[in-house]
Amino acid sequence: MISQFFILSSKGDPLIYKDFRGDSGGRDVAELFYRKLTGLPGDESPVVMHHHGRHFIHIRHSGLYLVVTTSENVSPFSLLELLSRLATLLGDYCGSLGEGTISRNVALVYELLDEVLDYGYVQTTSTEMLRNFIQTEAVVSKPFSLFDLSSVGLFGAETQQSKVAPSSAASRPVLSSRSDQSQKNEVFLDVVERLSVLIASNGSLLKVDVQGEIRLKSFLPSGSEMRIGLTEEFCVGKSELRGYGPGIRVDEVSFHSSVNLDEFESHRILRLQPPQGEVRLTVMRYQLSDDLPSPLPFRLFPSVQWDRGSGRLQVYLKLRCDLLSKSQALNVRLHLPLPRGVVSLSQELSSPEQKAELAEGALRWDLPRVQGGSQLSGLFQMDVPGPPGPPSHGLSTSASPLGLGPASLSFELPRHTCSGLQVRFLRLAFRPCGNANPHKWVRHLSHSDAYVIRI
Amino acid sequence: MTDSKYFTTTKKGEIFELKAELNSDKKEKKKEAVKKVIASMTVGKDVSALFPDVVNCMQTDNLELKKLVYLYLMNYAKSQPDMAIMAVNTFVKDCEDPNPLIRALAVRTMGCIRVDKITEYLCEPLRKCLKDEDPYVRKTAAVCVAKLHDINAQLVEDQGFLDTLKDLISDSNPMVVANAVAALSEIAESHPSSNLLDLNPQSINKLLTALNECTEWGQIFILDCLANYMPKDDREAQSICERVTPRLSHANSAVVLSAVKVLMKFMEMLSKDLDYYGTLLKKLAPPLVTLLSAEPELQYVALRNINLIVQKRPEILKHEMKVFFVKYNDPIYVKLEKLDIMIRLASQANIAQVLAELKEYATEVDVDFVRKAVRAIGRCAIKVEQSAERCVSTLLDLIQTKVNYVVQEAIVVIKDIFRKYPNKYESVIATLCENLDSLDEPEARAAMIWIVGEYAERIDNADELLESFLEGFHDESTQVQLQLLTAIVKLFLKKPTETQELVQQVLSLATQDSDNPDLRDRGYIYWRLLSTDPVAAKEVVLAEKPLISEETDLIEPTLLDELICYIGTLASVYHKPPSAFVEGGRGVVHKSLPPRTASSESAESPETAPTGAPPGEQPDVIPAQGDLLGDLLNLDLGPPVSGPPLATSSVQMGAVDLLGGGLDSLIGGTNFVAPPTAAVPANLGAPIGSGLSDLFDLTSGVGTLSGSYVAPKAVWLPAMKAKGLEISGTFTRQVGSISMDLQLTNKALQVMTDFAIQFNRNSFGLAPAAPLQVHAPLSPNQTVEISLPLSTVGSVMKMEPLNNLQNNIDVFYFSTLYPLHILFVEDGKMDRQMFLATWKDIPNENEAQFQIRDCPLNAEAASSKLQSSNIFTVAKRNVEGQDMLYQSLKLTNGIWVLAELRIQPGNPSCTLSLKCRAPEVSQHVYQAYETILKN
Repeated sequence: MISQFFILSSKGDPLIYKDFRGDSGGRDVAELFYRKLTGLPGDESPVVMHHHGRHFIHIRHSGLYLVVTTSENVSPFSLLELLSRLATLLGDYCGSLGEGTISRNVALVYELLDEVLDYGYVQTTSTEMLRNFIQTEAVVSKPFSLFDLSSVGLFGAETQQSKVAPSSAASRPVLSSRSDQSQKNEVFLDVVERLSVLIASNGSLLKVDVQGEIRLKSFLPSGSEMRIGLTEEFCVGKSELRGYGPGIRVDEVSFHSSVNLDEFESHRILRLQPPQGEVRLTVMRYQLSDDLPSPLPFRLFPSVQWDRGSGRLQVYLKLRCDLLSKSQALNVRLHLPLPRGVVSLSQELSSPEQKAELAEGALRWDLPRVQGGSQLSGLFQMDVPGPPGPPSHGLSTSASPLGLGPASLSFELPRHTCSGLQVRFLRLAFRPCGNANPHKWVRHLSHSDAYVIRI
Repeated sequence: MTDSKYFTTTKKGEIFELKAELNSDKKEKKKEAVKKVIASMTVGKDVSALFPDVVNCMQTDNLELKKLVYLYLMNYAKSQPDMAIMAVNTFVKDCEDPNPLIRALAVRTMGCIRVDKITEYLCEPLRKCLKDEDPYVRKTAAVCVAKLHDINAQLVEDQGFLDTLKDLISDSNPMVVANAVAALSEIAESHPSSNLLDLNPQSINKLLTALNECTEWGQIFILDCLANYMPKDDREAQSICERVTPRLSHANSAVVLSAVKVLMKFMEMLSKDLDYYGTLLKKLAPPLVTLLSAEPELQYVALRNINLIVQKRPEILKHEMKVFFVKYNDPIYVKLEKLDIMIRLASQANIAQVLAELKEYATEVDVDFVRKAVRAIGRCAIKVEQSAERCVSTLLDLIQTKVNYVVQEAIVVIKDIFRKYPNKYESVIATLCENLDSLDEPEARAAMIWIVGEYAERIDNADELLESFLEGFHDESTQVQLQLLTAIVKLFLKKPTETQELVQQVLSLATQDSDNPDLRDRGYIYWRLLSTDPVAAKEVVLAEKPLISEETDLIEPTLLDELICYIGTLASVYHKPPSAFVEGGRGVVHKSLPPRTASSESAESPETAPTGAPPGEQPDVIPAQGDLLGDLLNLDLGPPVSGPPLATSSVQMGAVDLLGGGLDSLIGGTNFVAPPTAAVPANLGAPIGSGLSDLFDLTSGVGTLSGSYVAPKAVWLPAMKAKGLEISGTFTRQVGSISMDLQLTNKALQVMTDFAIQFNRNSFGLAPAAPLQVHAPLSPNQTVEISLPLSTVGSVMKMEPLNNLQNNIDVFYFSTLYPLHILFVEDGKMDRQMFLATWKDIPNENEAQFQIRDCPLNAEAASSKLQSSNIFTVAKRNVEGQDMLYQSLKLTNGIWVLAELRIQPGNPSCTLSLKCRAPEVSQHVYQAYETILKN
């Protein structure tokens, strides 16, 4: 069972320290952890560390280290899950997770920890359930306003600035919203998919898989039921097919324990009573591999000219976007590792808004916006000094030099899901008394996880 | 006023200010003050001085303030036990509060105040709270029992809390059930013998029902508890599996893994022909694959578990190779784990895919990863025979890149490929030789030298190549030196004419100029071999080598089975049993997989359950430790000499020579053990005509009842050397005592009387336990049999080989070898766990392998034969038709020797692998084995 829990700042200062079992060691353990972590050799896994019968498990979240220790043979999964839940939970209750908010809300954090963990046994991590017990109000640095919300970015166009769009809606503490009656009526529903693809150098598709999540954040009063309707052709499993048209198929689905699946089999409707304000309640999680219903969003056609004798490397990249012409991809970035010691880059790009530069031994090609069906290209010339190969090999101009590639792409596809899954409707049983209808925000988004093209 | 005074006053001021605020009338102010106190407490400031003031705030009906005060109390009660008692009354009162939150809070906090005095006040409130009407209070009280048990276990038992806790398992509220299960499981772990968690079909049913209603965390407790249950037959196992399976699609990975653990364990009981077995296998794959899309930390932990599952049941994930492909943005520790699993899953069906991937990885930037990828290619070649050719050509391509570390790594694995497929890929040697200059790592150099030596006859300039290495002989690492020595001797045996000078050079370098005993000994052995019998030398040195095994670094099956029981725990991440890293004996109860039942009949004796590996399913295992992608062949390249060719050679060459030249340098290194083959000199004095007569007649011969093997008596002292006294004898071991059975024959013409015997100091401190008692006198031509009890408490000394036999008038020296098996003690049976741990623990260099020829015994016969000589069989298993016996024995001086005996039915010779911390004894243990088994 869990012996201790602590939160360290990025510099290793303890912000929160809680001992559940009266084990010896005290606060020095936190320092020991930090020393061990920073002194770890490169290829060793920092996930589970061991020191004199004490095991450390930690995650890093928003620049903070959340650490638990144990001296028994417990499940590292439950500890890792717990830590990430705690991160969410602390974020929920304190408004956001950060050094400042934690140190302002020490009493609240301790109170939460007391309810979440008793003698090192996890009791509950549900924001909703904890609401019954928690008394302390969060200290928030600045009052919450809708203006903050808008800066997080709701839809495509705004997300150009924020690097990671799939963050969820708002950051405001759960409890302080109690007093804030006017802003109650909002529901955010995100369908977010992560796409990871591996394409061989000959262009054949080696691997593709999609990890999807339906996330919900509701500011409606607790207990109000809602129904989420998914695409009716949606089916699960390799063999099952539904309806006549091309079904939307996934391999595996898992649901949050609070989801009522009575209508799922017949109508693909999820029913649930979401807790108020819980950040990212993951309603459903699914995954799909190999058969994608739609073509891959991007294809890359590289050609490499390499003259070993003179050390001149010429890379011509052609990027085709296979989305429908009305969709677009945002924040596309191509990352291509280059041979060691590359200097001087000269480039010819097909449109002015693109940018390319050398960074950390790699070529970085930024394309802020790529319209579906379009094709973009870039020609890059570099010098690779290094020791020239033996003269006998100098003639092989076609073979690529060592260290080049693979290329990887990162991008966001707003209003697009690779699996084809859509939310048909979001219906609320709740009728606000006197207020306007609640705002419902339903968003679809795909982004890259690892989109790798070998060269 | 000095500065320092100024500072102390400010500090005091702060505390003083807080004190004032704490005693304020306004609730808000009080609350803020307590919050401030807690904040200072967190930063590490000492605010214990405020204890009375804070405790004063405790009596309030404001829940928030109360919670804050309790928080403070928990932190400081330990350092201020007397003050804590002050708070007790409030606690007791709060336990009666109408508000369930306050009742629970009070019980929870009291349990956390780890002060002995408070426990007696805790009992009554706790008893009430355990039966509280509110589930929130009950679930808190359940945990409190575990807390109290940790402080005062006796009190908990006396008060009968354990029974109440057991009742809570049938509570209507699933949270209460979960906490009761968790508390009981923990308490049960500290009393392994007690039957606290009395799991029976009824209680299991209750748990399974609660499982569906619990929170995710409660589900984990319940699943972990279920995993400890042993279903009575396969039907029950199946019905539990059916009810656990839905947990596999839970969003919480800990729930999923706990469910996987239960299923993996109970699957053991299901028959493979069952449809349900197949269904279950199919259901296990998707959740495991899903785990790989989580954060890297979870992925890593999942991969470590999958690594175990793949070794146990490769069929689950055999079609999922692709998910283990490495992503470029994976952290290195995830990449290495994936690589390892990819090789484990590699088969003829997917090898092309795997190789293409590995080749890509080998061109990446990260040096560590590239190295492992290259090694992985070699492992594929060895594992999947059909792919060997492709692997070799891939490796050749990689060598062409001329990247230093890639080339070196490739050469090391190509050497292994040569070992596996001799005389098949020698065409590549030319390419390898081109890269000779770029090798700077010992392992790669040694591998290259091995290749040159092994194929010397096909390499025209082998002598030049080896000579070039010889120049810097003393700067090389031991590994390279040993290899070079062997390679040159091989070369000499293959091309004797032109390399005589070279071999002499290397022999003199190794024997005369080197400080390394291993090197020197190997040098001497070769030297003697070559000088005595070049033909024999050829047979020995160029003997056909055993092929290397297909899979290395698999986890030893018994350990694997244990680890399967610990899926989803830290043990599965470390790949070590919990006893290896959990301190204080908590939770180290040994777990084992249930036995497979053939049909619905129940297992007869779960204690003697086999390891659950059906014959012919598990691949051959070399219990290897350390590096996952470690050396495939420590046979030839490990620093110490332990390869079979050499071992057999030393046997053939006879012990005397070796003792003189080789082994005594080993003995010199340790002053603890010396080979018992060294003589036991005993001087047996027979002063003639002395007047003492013996009172007792203890000459009753020792019958060989059922004790250890007794060799027939041999003549130790011939009559002609001892004025007519002939002594023959043997050693026996009977129920714990060793004795020397002597037969004295008077072949002289006079009467002999008054015998006495004395032992020289020897390695195991063997000495007579009683004086030699011969009923006097011994008339001419009379023979008397005496049994002399021996003890091992004599003085221990490293033995020097005895060179001269002295012959005095009345004191005769004789020497004899005592067989090692008389020193095997009766309590030499090691516990299985210990055995495994010890086997892993002893470095591979200490392993010695021997062949016992002409021993047509089956496993049972051998086992019982050995058992009577105190060699105990710890575990037995059947692998591909071979019987493997794992045995242990202990010597009188406490040295443990672990053995693995492989017996192949129909084949008269068996293989013996010995591991011991004092490797010097191995040779003698082997001889003891041979003696016992053959008689």
